[in-house]
Amino acid sequence: MGMKVNHEKQVAAANDVITALEAEFSGEGLSCEVRMHAGGKHQRSYVYIDCPPSIWAIVAETLSEVHAVDHCSMITGIHWPEKSPEMEWQVVVHLMRMSVRNPPSNEGIVMPIISDASILQGSDMPLEFEVSIAIPETRNPSIPSVQHVWVGADWNEKETWDLVGIDFEGHNEMRRVLQPHETPAGFHPLQKQHKLRYHEFNEMYDDAQGFARKSEDIGKVK
Amino acid sequence: MAEMWISMGPQHPMTHGLWTLKVKIDGETIVDTIPDLGYIHRGVEKICESRDFTQITPYCDRLCYASANTWSHSYIYAAENLLEVEVPERAEYIRLIAVEIQRIASHLMWLGAYCPDIGNLTAFVYCLREREMMLDLLQELGGSRMHYNFPRIGGVKRDLPHGFAMRCRAKVKLFLQRIHEYEALLDESTIFLIRTQGVGYAKPEEMVNHGVTGPNLRAGGVNYDVRWAHPYSVYDELDWTPSVERSSVKGADCYDRYRVRLDEMKTSAELILQALDGIPGGAETFHESGDPALIAKAPARASDGQTGFHHFEDPRGESMFYLAGGGDERGKNPYRVSIRSPMFITIPYAAKCMIGYKIADVPAIMGSFDPCIGETDR
Repeated sequence: MGMKVNHEKQVAAANDVITALEAEFSGEGLSCEVRMHAGGKHQRSYVYIDCPPSIWAIVAETLSEVHAVDHCSMITGIHWPEKSPEMEWQVVVHLMRMSVRNPPSNEGIVMPIISDASILQGSDMPLEFEVSIAIPETRNPSIPSVQHVWVGADWNEKETWDLVGIDFEGHNEMRRVLQPHETPAGFHPLQKQHKLRYHEFNEMYDDAQGFARKSEDIGKVK
Repeated sequence: MAEMWISMGPQHPMTHGLWTLKVKIDGETIVDTIPDLGYIHRGVEKICESRDFTQITPYCDRLCYASANTWSHSYIYAAENLLEVEVPERAEYIRLIAVEIQRIASHLMWLGAYCPDIGNLTAFVYCLREREMMLDLLQELGGSRMHYNFPRIGGVKRDLPHGFAMRCRAKVKLFLQRIHEYEALLDESTIFLIRTQGVGYAKPEEMVNHGVTGPNLRAGGVNYDVRWAHPYSVYDELDWTPSVERSSVKGADCYDRYRVRLDEMKTSAELILQALDGIPGGAETFHESGDPALIAKAPARASDGQTGFHHFEDPRGESMFYLAGGGDERGKNPYRVSIRSPMFITIPYAAKCMIGYKIADVPAIMGSFDPCIGETDR
């Protein structure tokens, strides 16, 4: 029936990437494994990489040049103030190997590339990557930028700095994208010290702003 | 001639939403652009951190007014990965039908909004006529016209209503005939062809490097689609191929992006018809809400350290949710929700893509990428 990527070949392709990465970077603290998506009926695997911030730029270049990872899907940051000193901040990067090439042309007529999912293998195999980069306790979290590897990372990094406050070294023209331009320096709303008002008392229905609480309700939890 | 900056937006017909495109022009030629987003940033990601997993779905509906269903499904698939839920097959078929109807409605909204931009007001009326049929179908499923809150973690809210299959088949078949009316209206309109052909060239490798996916990418002559590359739902059980457009040697222009969306609507319509035929238990049977054929039991809590993400084919490209569990002490809320919006990445590329063209081409190029600001600003 419909097109479907062969799962065994996908796992084999993921293992190829993992073997190569571990051979090159395991001495520098990188570790990786094949993981499975937990939900749904399909068996779907992805490559999970745990990467120290110091070698992230080199790992990204290797992924792009050697392993044909051509698409940076999302870069996002998480603030973990209470987790552990080794990981107060975390950057999670989602990459994809799409194996997209410019279609060839013959005498000015472009021949579209129609890949057949059932015969794809090796470095043509579509793969998902999740990279976790832990940043130890600091007031100025920062990791290298990968804007030069995938241009699509540019706005993702802008957004991560804007909302979470993780800086990207080597990123040019870092600026606010979702917040107003005149937002005070150092204000990054997704950091956990900023709480929504509902957090403190478990009430959200009759006094959403929390200004005029009825005296008889004080101390009660809804 | 001196160069100057022009600010297009936040109120401008080109923007299809609320944002500013600063354009630097030399005479009439564009030499530089800066997109400025964030006018309707609502902080959805932050709000979701204090909501439990079922409460988040309506917020995801409101990410994009033109395709609410695809966004709530995108979230639900990520939440199912986080909570480790397997969905009944009947529910997956119903979801596929809902998403594909929404995809048609979204592309019709795009075409309807794009044509007046470039001087063809007639097609707008025709597109909205068919979009109305699709919205009626979605209203039968979800109960409202725009924000359906239809999927649930583990399944769907309701079964297909009595007679839905019959009405859906009739409307989709009528729609398949009426697509030819758009083709007649647009492919024979000199103004439309002049405005769209030969402007806004984009090459596939460059697009992927910039993070552009979905129909915009397939217009360049490659068939990459998340629906087969990382199969979810029941797309692998139906007989379909993604729409691909034969672009020109310079890459995909605005006309190719129009053609590929038109073709994708046909693909979606055929997927709906196939799903109605292939749905386990038959499309005419009706289960009460909460039946195990419609919804599987799902845990309500995710502990610290559990994560889930899912790549999803939105009408505008690849959307994604990343969820980290363990929000409050009991794990009822997510600790972090982050949303990949396809247009947030595509708008900067579209702005780059128009450098070198004339300022009058700005609406044609920008509109052809199908911007939606609700999801971009979140």
